[in-house]
Amino acid sequence: MHAAACASLISSSAAAVGAGSLTASVRQRDDKPLVGAVITLEPQSPALPAAPPMTAIMDQVNLAFVPDVLVIPVHSSVQFPNSDAISHQVYSFSSARKFQLPLYRGKAYPPVVFDHPGVVTLGCNIHDNMLAYIVVTAAPFFGRTDARGEWLAPSLPSGQYRLRVWHPLLNEPQEIERVVHAGAEREIVELRLTHALRPAALSGRPHSWDY
Amino acid sequence: MGLLTHKRALLLCALVAGTPALARAAEWELALDLRAVSSDGRESFLDNGQGKLRFDEDHEGIQLGRLRASWNQPLGEVFSAHVEASTWDTDDKNPIDLTEAYVEYQPYPRAGTKTRVRLGAFYPPMSLENRASGWETPYTITPSAISSWIGEEIRTVGIEGQIEWLGTRSGHDFDLQLSAAVFGWNDPAGTMLGAHGFTFHDRQTTLFGRVGAPQSFADFAKKELFHEIDNRPGFYVGAQARYLDRAALSFLHYDNRADPTVELHSIRDFAWFTKFDAAALRVESGSGWTAIIQALDGVTYIAPGGFWLDWRFDSQSAMLARRAGAHMVAARYDRFAVRFQRDPAAAGSEDGHAWAFAYSYDRGEHWRFALEWLRVTSDVPARVALLGEPALAIESKLEFSARYLLTGRY
Repeated sequence: MHAAACASLISSSAAAVGAGSLTASVRQRDDKPLVGAVITLEPQSPALPAAPPMTAIMDQVNLAFVPDVLVIPVHSSVQFPNSDAISHQVYSFSSARKFQLPLYRGKAYPPVVFDHPGVVTLGCNIHDNMLAYIVVTAAPFFGRTDARGEWLAPSLPSGQYRLRVWHPLLNEPQEIERVVHAGAEREIVELRLTHALRPAALSGRPHSWDY
Repeated sequence: MGLLTHKRALLLCALVAGTPALARAAEWELALDLRAVSSDGRESFLDNGQGKLRFDEDHEGIQLGRLRASWNQPLGEVFSAHVEASTWDTDDKNPIDLTEAYVEYQPYPRAGTKTRVRLGAFYPPMSLENRASGWETPYTITPSAISSWIGEEIRTVGIEGQIEWLGTRSGHDFDLQLSAAVFGWNDPAGTMLGAHGFTFHDRQTTLFGRVGAPQSFADFAKKELFHEIDNRPGFYVGAQARYLDRAALSFLHYDNRADPTVELHSIRDFAWFTKFDAAALRVESGSGWTAIIQALDGVTYIAPGGFWLDWRFDSQSAMLARRAGAHMVAARYDRFAVRFQRDPAAAGSEDGHAWAFAYSYDRGEHWRFALEWLRVTSDVPARVALLGEPALAIESKLEFSARYLLTGRY
């Protein structure tokens, strides 16, 4: 019921392909594509393990985290190289992973390992308006929507999946999730937000100004 | 004398606190701000006058706006020292002096809250306008009447604690910050309002300096603001709420708890018992608009020989600015009033308003150019008796600012 309130689902059959494939297409309330949304697909039957852990990079460039959103499988590690000439003090107090990591010039720091699924919000203790997210997922299939608001999950084993959508600016009253079926055919899942996004962070304001 | 020593000792103590491990890079800034001024201002409050402007008709042409040096020295991981030094003109007590100097303790946020402690001399967290380095406004050359007064008379010399709930870091749209401070060495605060009311200028009184020319024969016109006179600490409490990075709403209640019957003969001034409430709202849009509304309402007393005299003061300000890339335009309206309850015709009573229009352009990381037109209309009854001038003055000024900024790390 709540998923239906948040999004509409249209499944259509197209030319059959060897393995199942699924495209998630997410649009905002005003029909613009939702770019950079995190899509996860968790199998309901049969069960599948999480994607293998990876090593990812969350850089600091010109007083901003790059990328602003990072999706990693559970047990992955993330390096924080700090490409800025100035120091940062990265922290998270999110329940999925709490940590404090000073990033001073000319020093290498060990990567941070993320062992629990969830959204980890990153901040900098020195630069209050730095903000980024690491989405740690146990799903075997995940990705982010492209400029058209679409993400293609190729070669899915047939079965039922729980599809979830996350974006830092989502303003929906409930989590967006749908049960979808991947078979021998190409599935297109179309979702539309029912609420406008929250305002994006202001850009172009000098870093030296008070936040 | 002994009190002055204590203030120096507190600042020195603040600057050597913490551990000396240099894990983070220190940062410094050096800025030279020169002005070209055309003004029809009456004799400035800086020169014993009742003029509202920093640069009056005798201070046209090329002027020093500000020479500023700042230094930010990390002390270990969670402590840091901040020093702001400036030269405003050649008339001050010291050729270069401090406007702020403090040590900050800022541990990593825990459980969604961030704490911050400052010890030393600094501004209370009340101006949403003066948000740029060196407590400057980025929108105009001359800040509002409220910010001009804060820069002239108010400084926290003491300790301040802040606690902030970081809602935007835990899935909410709001952050909420509470501040409280205990301070001394701000007992003369209010004396300038009693002497000349509100003024419009970017000159911040230095911690060991003064307002007014040294050759001044009129003692009321040269004041030192940062002295402890009655050995009674003052306090303020403040709150600030932020919606994402778009809007900020702040309140501050300030009370220096001065004993207005006490006089410090070395500076020929009383402890001015000053209390005020200040509120400000700042809203920024994604398309470059900024609106700032400020209000200040307070009272200051002295009681020579137990005879209480009170000045009630208030000011409101509204500003609208639009930024497009490196260019910005801003317009501001200020209203201000001081009422000397005992004698509305004596020094310190006034009514007025002001308009400011400014354009600024940031050229690269080093240069900033700004042009501002400011007109202050003020009705000061004391001008008649004190100076033989009409009570009503309309003063305007066209000012061009060229600022060169150097920054570095070591």
